[in-house]
Amino acid sequence: MSPKQTGQRLGVHPAPQVPAYPASGRIMKGSVNLQPSLRARNRHSLNPGGGYWFWYLLPALLVYILFMAYPMLDSVRLSLYAGTTGTRQYVGLANYTRLFTDPVVSTRFWGAFKNTWVFFAYHMLVQNVLGMLFAVILTSRTMKGRKIYQTIIFIPCTIAVMVSGYLFRLLLNPQFAGPSLRAMGLSALVRPWLGDPRTALNVVSLVSVWQWVGIPTMMFVAGLQGVSEDLLEAADIEGCNAWQTFWHIKFPLILPVVGMIAILTFVSNFNAFDVVYAMTGPNGPPNYATDLIGSLFYRYGVAGEHPIGIPEPGVGAAISTSVFVMLLAGVLPTLRATQGRD
Amino acid sequence: MDRTKVKPRKTRSLRLARMNLPGHLLMLVWAVVVLLPVYLLVVNALKTRMGMYADPFALPLPLVWDNFRAIINQGNFFMYFANSLMVVVVSLGAILMLGSLAGYGLAHWRGKLARGLYFFFMIGMMLPIKIATIRLMELMKLLGLFNQLWSIILVYIAMGLPIAVFVLTEFIRGLPGDLYEAAHIDGARRSKIYYSIVLPLIKPALATVGIYNLVPIWNDLWFPLIFITQEDKKTVLLAVTRLQGQYTTDWPKVFALLTLSALPVILLYLSMSRQFVAGLTAGAVKG
Amino acid sequence: MKKLTALLLAALMLATLVPGLVQAEGVKLTMGSWRSDDTAQVQALLDKYKELTGVEITFQPTVPAQYNATLRLQLDNGTGPDLMYSRTFAASKELYDAGFLLPLNDIAALKDNFSAASLEAFMADDGTIYAVPYAAVSQIVYYNKAIFAENNLEVPTTFEELLNVAQALKDKGIEPLANGIASNWDILECVFLGMLPNYVGGAEERALYEAGERKMNDEAFVKALTDFAALSKYLPEGFEALANEDGPGMFGMGRAAMFIDGSWTVGMFDEYPDLDLGVFAIPAPEGHTPGLCFHSDMGMAGNAATQHPEEVKAFLAWFASVEGAQEAANLLPAGFYPMINAPVELSGEMAMTILGLNEGKVLDYRFIWKDFLGMYTVMVDNLNAIARGETTPEAAAEAFAAAQEEILAAKAE
Repeated sequence: MSPKQTGQRLGVHPAPQVPAYPASGRIMKGSVNLQPSLRARNRHSLNPGGGYWFWYLLPALLVYILFMAYPMLDSVRLSLYAGTTGTRQYVGLANYTRLFTDPVVSTRFWGAFKNTWVFFAYHMLVQNVLGMLFAVILTSRTMKGRKIYQTIIFIPCTIAVMVSGYLFRLLLNPQFAGPSLRAMGLSALVRPWLGDPRTALNVVSLVSVWQWVGIPTMMFVAGLQGVSEDLLEAADIEGCNAWQTFWHIKFPLILPVVGMIAILTFVSNFNAFDVVYAMTGPNGPPNYATDLIGSLFYRYGVAGEHPIGIPEPGVGAAISTSVFVMLLAGVLPTLRATQGRD
Repeated sequence: MDRTKVKPRKTRSLRLARMNLPGHLLMLVWAVVVLLPVYLLVVNALKTRMGMYADPFALPLPLVWDNFRAIINQGNFFMYFANSLMVVVVSLGAILMLGSLAGYGLAHWRGKLARGLYFFFMIGMMLPIKIATIRLMELMKLLGLFNQLWSIILVYIAMGLPIAVFVLTEFIRGLPGDLYEAAHIDGARRSKIYYSIVLPLIKPALATVGIYNLVPIWNDLWFPLIFITQEDKKTVLLAVTRLQGQYTTDWPKVFALLTLSALPVILLYLSMSRQFVAGLTAGAVKG
Repeated sequence: MKKLTALLLAALMLATLVPGLVQAEGVKLTMGSWRSDDTAQVQALLDKYKELTGVEITFQPTVPAQYNATLRLQLDNGTGPDLMYSRTFAASKELYDAGFLLPLNDIAALKDNFSAASLEAFMADDGTIYAVPYAAVSQIVYYNKAIFAENNLEVPTTFEELLNVAQALKDKGIEPLANGIASNWDILECVFLGMLPNYVGGAEERALYEAGERKMNDEAFVKALTDFAALSKYLPEGFEALANEDGPGMFGMGRAAMFIDGSWTVGMFDEYPDLDLGVFAIPAPEGHTPGLCFHSDMGMAGNAATQHPEEVKAFLAWFASVEGAQEAANLLPAGFYPMINAPVELSGEMAMTILGLNEGKVLDYRFIWKDFLGMYTVMVDNLNAIARGETTPEAAAEAFAAAQEEILAAKAE
């Protein structure tokens, strides 16, 4: 494939826009920037410094601070207070003590903590590996119909979680779907999947994987398409098989994307809650088997427990802050390991 | 190198052909896994509630169009749609614009402060936004934004920025440095470089960020629920809530509405995903 | 100058934020509610009120499951509705104690038109009433008359007979019950608390538990839990995964012969034309005085921070009057019963039949609602465990008593 064709597919119009740069041909071919010298030169002397670049950040920073960072960080402060409006009072670390030592609350917290790791593991090991596999298949040069497949993989992402959750509840409902499944000879599938503490969390996790696998697939496809044709051809000539090509060439090259997806999976799953809410309920039944940190936070901090529904924003903030500290501990090393920062 | 001579064309294409067979097989299996629940969604949107319970898998015979009819006639279906579309388009546009500008800045600005700001943005991904609900409500009240689409749009922009900044900074940072050097020597201003070189090159990344944010924005219920009570400002998903009763939900009608609601998302996805076919993912593949 | 363009755009966005001025023309009020189901009916009631007084009230129901959470946020923020549906006991009392609800002591009709028991659900510690009692519900057994007739089964009059009926149905391969435990509330609120007045009695006996004179592991509770355990054997296949909202479908299509649920569900069965619907009270065990759970479910409260306190109070006074209650009763959904003392007419034959079950029985609201809501979760968890066969009635009773003691100790402090 000629550079020009690739360029057009990229949506870049090489001739009018970047006529003067010989480097652009290589870039548009989707090549890997393998020469470390280029990165070194990136930090060239022409860089004008923070006083200049700050202006590029300003609009984003303003919106972000006003509508997210300030309200959020200020709310984190609530973890040191008890009660709600009108009755709020400073209690120091009492909410944290309660979270980690109160027999009921700490049991729920650690239960939700464990469940969240399981939920995360499913996304990391099933969703992301599946996403990678799909992406490798979809970017294979001779693959036909990749656009159709990719759209199909993405379709579940477009369905509101409330509805996808109910669809699976219907599909797994022993009374409504049971008779049809039996008629199809699938009696083994007729089980109270969502009512059994041993299976519920697995099912909820897999439904979430089903729904969101399109996102890592999309990102891996974007990453793999940047891998140089030359390199792949070289590997081909060397006689590498598909696995070797993947493991020794593609994977190391898209490691930054892998890291990015790992971080996004990590942070989003530790705040996930919709799928549990839609499939089993805010209490994470049966017997708290599907209770995640996200649903625990919602129950204590936002909605309050049924039927009274009086939230304890202090406990909610303590949950979020504890999880935040843990996320930091996970994200920072991942960033360092995969993003090759200076 | 002289490819045409060295490359063993025939054996390679054969091998590739063999490789694609399992690929297609896996894709087809996954397509079935995906489409079975989607089938349930569509056929049950064409049944009564009783019909759905009787056999969720059965074909909808006879077709019951009442759900779709009720959705379109009752309430202001097209208005809800227009509101949702407006919210999504404005939010995504702003996320991508502000995010790429910030990413461009952060990718080039070296130093402790820059690293601190980058990290400051990342914090936004690690805390649940719901925690800030009370403060956001105060803010919206102060700005007089209750019952205005801007209230949710601004929150969505702020929600989308951390991921946008995170992903776009990485991508822009991975663009080859000599690109800028050449352009700079050429006399191009940095703002021009951003506009005419960086933006086109990071289109795949922009599409990725756009799609990543598209879904949660389109399907968010929480902020519309809190900020919007006025009928003419409701979004599609907020309109769904009127179909949810205290004890029961009219699922076939919800299915009908959500089937229609998924279509614009798929169209937006398709239009954005065009951007990363054979894209350059510089941040992803730097050496 | 992309940077400049961006800044300009940002400024433009900020400019769009400037709010438009809202012109006040006449008094306009809003009403918050969790009953999104009744939007059309309630709006009709409010339109009628507008005809009478010229005050325009807009009904703004929210997602039922999110009502408490969103209402709380709105009240905190000063953007709550002027009028609002009020839950009973602790959930609304907390809002009153936090200063969000208007005290209604000066509405004379409240004392005249409602019984002390009805007002109790909306009464602060100092005796202030903060909501007009609106509607009550009951928990009963729906049964499929056709299935009963085909199998020569009589409506059971004792709990033992109920178990026999269930066994007979099961022997013939018919699911006796359409109840499940996945929703985590109906097994307690509809089934167990529906049974309980048959075992512990009415308000007087409940007060003994609230005073700590009786323990929740006494004979009455153990018997109630033992009977619950016996009944739970007849829950349908896959009951662990069946939610409350699956019940009407399953029962409505004749896939189960009985469904223990609230009177509020009765309207749902209109969707099933082939269903021959009957109702009976959850029967008491042999030798026990029959009781029935007739529960205060909702009231109407005013926002203390409203801009129009006069109009809000005027509406609530009308709502507490016989005329207002009659108008509201005309539009109440089936299975919700007005709490006013005056005889109001209700439509709906089956709804009236359900109300008729109250006759000759000791009535009380849900046992734990007044003082023991704090043990709600303990109760649900234990009832689920009994149904799964993971705990015994005796052990559950011990857990109940321990929770009771804890709540009483906290109260004593």
